[in-house]
Amino acid sequence: MRKITRVDERCRNVATFRHVCVQLMETTARWTPTTPEMEAKVMFGRHIWDFAQMADALGKRTFELRQPEHYTLRPVDAYDALLKEAAAAESTAERIATIYDGVLPGFIERCRAYVAATDAILDEPSITIIERMIREMERQRKEAAELQSELKLGKGNAAAIAARERTIGNIVAEGVQA
Amino acid sequence: MSELGYYQVEGITLRETPAREACFKVVYRDADAMEFGNMSEIARREMIHRHMTNEMTSVEMAAACVAEFPDAPWELRMELARQAYDEARHVQVLYRRLKELGGHKGEFPISTLEWNMTCAVDNLPGRIAIQNRTLEAGAMDVMGGLSLVLRKVGDPDTADILDGINNDEVSHVRFANRWIKRLAQQDRRVLMKMASAIRFLQDANSKFQIKEGGEVNAVGVALASPENRIPAVNVEHRKLAEFTDEEINEILRQAGYRTIVSAEAGA
Repeated sequence: MRKITRVDERCRNVATFRHVCVQLMETTARWTPTTPEMEAKVMFGRHIWDFAQMADALGKRTFELRQPEHYTLRPVDAYDALLKEAAAAESTAERIATIYDGVLPGFIERCRAYVAATDAILDEPSITIIERMIREMERQRKEAAELQSELKLGKGNAAAIAARERTIGNIVAEGVQA
Repeated sequence: MSELGYYQVEGITLRETPAREACFKVVYRDADAMEFGNMSEIARREMIHRHMTNEMTSVEMAAACVAEFPDAPWELRMELARQAYDEARHVQVLYRRLKELGGHKGEFPISTLEWNMTCAVDNLPGRIAIQNRTLEAGAMDVMGGLSLVLRKVGDPDTADILDGINNDEVSHVRFANRWIKRLAQQDRRVLMKMASAIRFLQDANSKFQIKEGGEVNAVGVALASPENRIPAVNVEHRKLAEFTDEEINEILRQAGYRTIVSAEAGA
């Protein structure tokens, strides 16, 4: 990723990450009543709050970056389609694998790439939020792996989702507010 | 399962039952449940199992609000997301206690009626008026007294768990009270939505409640019809949850001032 030097560019990245977190919050929320296993409901219930807090922190940061509070940008079409496809997973195994093994590893990498590309001092408040998000998402992945093991769930098409995720370049689109 | 639709019961539209594991038998009436009405070991397991599965329904109701009302104010969505997290922890802690007492998932029949009724409502003020301001507030009233009884029969561990849960429920009721007031100040129609939701809850409940003259449940315990029950009112917790004095007096009047549970009694 090339260096991110402009304030508006930082804001577009943060606003796009916010969109992803809101989508993940809504997806896990939508799945909670329609997933039979109690332990999966418990995990989704916990992670709804994790994603909400991530989106909240990012949304407060957009205000510091010269946009309204909770300014949100839809990602490029390919990534938006990937999130929608992930949200359509039906079985418990597919749902958990799709999000935690398919989408999150790539999103974590995108967060890391942003941290490496932005100015470590000027944009330190964004970095603090995003590094915290990375730690939280890694914890979520660990919890999902434990649940997969406990419930003996397969990985479904997670590898295919992850592979497709890797083919998408920069997810930050120009301009359109979500 | 991708989405939950609706179904009809005697002219009332309810939301379809959320997904449950095969080990759970879902019933819709207290008469089909197994509440033992005492504090024996099996009765306490049933009580914990019932609370655990009710909390599971609460996770689902809060989650559904997050998913189904994307245009709600962000701060309210945050409260609902936090509620989903709190209710998920409640499921976990009750499940831990259930296993400590030798119980297991699916040991007793469960109900999802709170979901079926609440999530049939198509607006967020109506949903939180039912789930938080009515059902959770009602649970808050009951739990203080229940903790006290558990301590008396020598089960302080379960009592401590219920106290901890009740602490969170106060927050859920309080945010609903605050948000309903705030939303109503912005748009008076919110009060109509809230009143309509509560009327719907009463109508829907009437289809499932114990019949006049009482009934006997699945374990042979006599259940009184609603008009012959003595409802608990936890005044201190209702104050913490920011019900007004006028609202508390009205609830006490409806309960006939027969039972007032103080915060100290539940501590």
